[in-house]
Amino acid sequence: MLRMYLWLYVLFLYAPIVIIGMFSFHSSPSLVFPFDGWSLRWYEQIFASRTFRESLWNSIIVATAASVVTTLLGATVALALIRIKGKMRDVIATICAAPIALPGLFLGIALVSGFAQVGMNRSLLTVTISHVLYALPFFVATLRSRIDYFDSSLEEAARDLGATTWQSFHLVTLPILRPSIVGAAILVFALSFDELIITVFVSGNESTLPMMIWSMMRRTVDPTINAASMVALGLSLIVITIAGAIFWLQRSAAISSRTSDLRVEANDQVDSTTEQRPQSVRPVQSFE
Amino acid sequence: MRDRESGFLRKPWARKGPTQGDQSSRLIGVTLTANNNCPIERSTFQVEYEKEVDQGKQKQGRDNSDPIGIGDRVLSKGIAMSLNVTQRQRLLSGFLAAPTMSFMLVFFILPSLLLLLYSFWSARSFVIDPTFNIDNYVRTLSAAGFWRTGVTGLSNGVWTAIASVVLSFPAAYYIVYRSVNNNAFYLILLSWFSSYLVRVYAWRTILGTNGLINTTLMQFGLINQPVEFLLFSPFASVITLVHIMFPFALLLLVSALRDVKTDYIEAARDMGASRFQVLTKVIIPMSYKGIVSAFMFTFILAAGDYITPQLLGGRDGVTNGLLIANQFRSAGNWPLGAAMAFITLVLFVGVYVAFTQLMKACRLSPGRRYHN
Repeated sequence: MLRMYLWLYVLFLYAPIVIIGMFSFHSSPSLVFPFDGWSLRWYEQIFASRTFRESLWNSIIVATAASVVTTLLGATVALALIRIKGKMRDVIATICAAPIALPGLFLGIALVSGFAQVGMNRSLLTVTISHVLYALPFFVATLRSRIDYFDSSLEEAARDLGATTWQSFHLVTLPILRPSIVGAAILVFALSFDELIITVFVSGNESTLPMMIWSMMRRTVDPTINAASMVALGLSLIVITIAGAIFWLQRSAAISSRTSDLRVEANDQVDSTTEQRPQSVRPVQSFE
Repeated sequence: MRDRESGFLRKPWARKGPTQGDQSSRLIGVTLTANNNCPIERSTFQVEYEKEVDQGKQKQGRDNSDPIGIGDRVLSKGIAMSLNVTQRQRLLSGFLAAPTMSFMLVFFILPSLLLLLYSFWSARSFVIDPTFNIDNYVRTLSAAGFWRTGVTGLSNGVWTAIASVVLSFPAAYYIVYRSVNNNAFYLILLSWFSSYLVRVYAWRTILGTNGLINTTLMQFGLINQPVEFLLFSPFASVITLVHIMFPFALLLLVSALRDVKTDYIEAARDMGASRFQVLTKVIIPMSYKGIVSAFMFTFILAAGDYITPQLLGGRDGVTNGLLIANQFRSAGNWPLGAAMAFITLVLFVGVYVAFTQLMKACRLSPGRRYHN
């Protein structure tokens, strides 16, 4: 029974999206069943629109910039959180998590006041900044479990064995954190690509894709909205699928290198030549 | 020497380095144990280490100011680390934290404080007049419109949060305790990334006057006139917000339930607790934090949302969030909007207190009763 409930739950989540997806391929402008037939006319119409192409491009630029900046900021602060202990750590972690606990509306109006006060014009730059602020807590939260359970003795061990700070970073710390960082960066891309509540306040003349769909929705009921939203949805899903694929590939590569390493080790015991071990092997614990 | 901790910082053997000498390897035993768990890194580093020795770099790096010193920290914490390294680490982590902290200061803390300041100023014809007064607060609190919209906003939030948590809980329970794989979980999380606006638009299509529900009902002859109350009502906002919040609530509940090990549940069952008792006396109190955070996050996101009420709520569905947004977009009285925003935040805190008190009153929170 609980199992059926779960599938009903999934159905509730997906049914509306599937319906919109179907109507985006509908050959007539009506939004009701029965279905007349399939066509791509709404997609042709929406891609013919210059505003749409521009906003799509703007969204991609903003999401890419936001995920790059968020990754740099989030990864450095994660490295700091690994090292810092005690009260300072709590302060930093709280500040990094705080924006998540506030409604987007509040962040939007605070940012727009701030930008106005320093005389910054609203543009894609302000949109990117606000997306970084919005996404950073999600980034840090995604890395949180890695940070909390990071065994700092690994780094210390590396240094004890003569590694420089840089070596211990890129041979020990980074391989452990990398899968989470990649995943979190892609999450940030998806969040930024979809963000509207803050963007409404901080965007200037160039609109992002959600902004454009929103203004279309306020004006009319138009079947091209179906197609536009499906493009937005499709892009997010492609990005998430890529993330999933990267995760899966890294995981299986790690597992296979682990097993081959064990085989090499077994051989080593026979002819006891420890130098032969492949250096490219990365630690596998990072994948649990 | 440098610190009170550095009383016997420089033991003669401390300079030897970790790879030589019995004493040092005994004292850095913890490090080595940790190392043994991951033979790969160790081997990589041994190779690196030997390389460095070969290249003769070893002397330079080690002799001036970077000894692998082993102080009395070893005794207290079991970690080999000299004060010098500690200081360097502290400096390094300061450098690492600095960019993010300055970003947060400039784009989060200062703007929020500025907004607080704004709420005590006033605006006349788009020009902000920086004289301290509390007119905005008085005006907002005495306006019936603010309270009416505030109640709509809060009830949107509360209903969404209750529905999300209560309806997601069984699903989370199934995923954590019954399901053999996580496919359904991943499928649900994936739907989180289906665009927010797409879902608002989908519900508008479904609930609209010529929408799916109405036309289907009319085709079957169950109703003659389209049912109007579905769209442009608080109900439409809530069902859409619930749809949007489900994956988020589920994620938080699943991670909370993962902490409640089956051992506790089995122990309770062994001691004769009914399924209901296990739920109310074991599972919910033990996942209390996760439940509260799921409730609060969905509440905040739903009550602070102004796009859904604008597109689906109709005239009755105007929320204070929309009112605030309009102050910052069209009407242009920023100080008034800022005051409304801070009053709304206070109301949110009130909901948090009310919810935790309610959980306590229902004896669902972990409390002293464990010891009584």
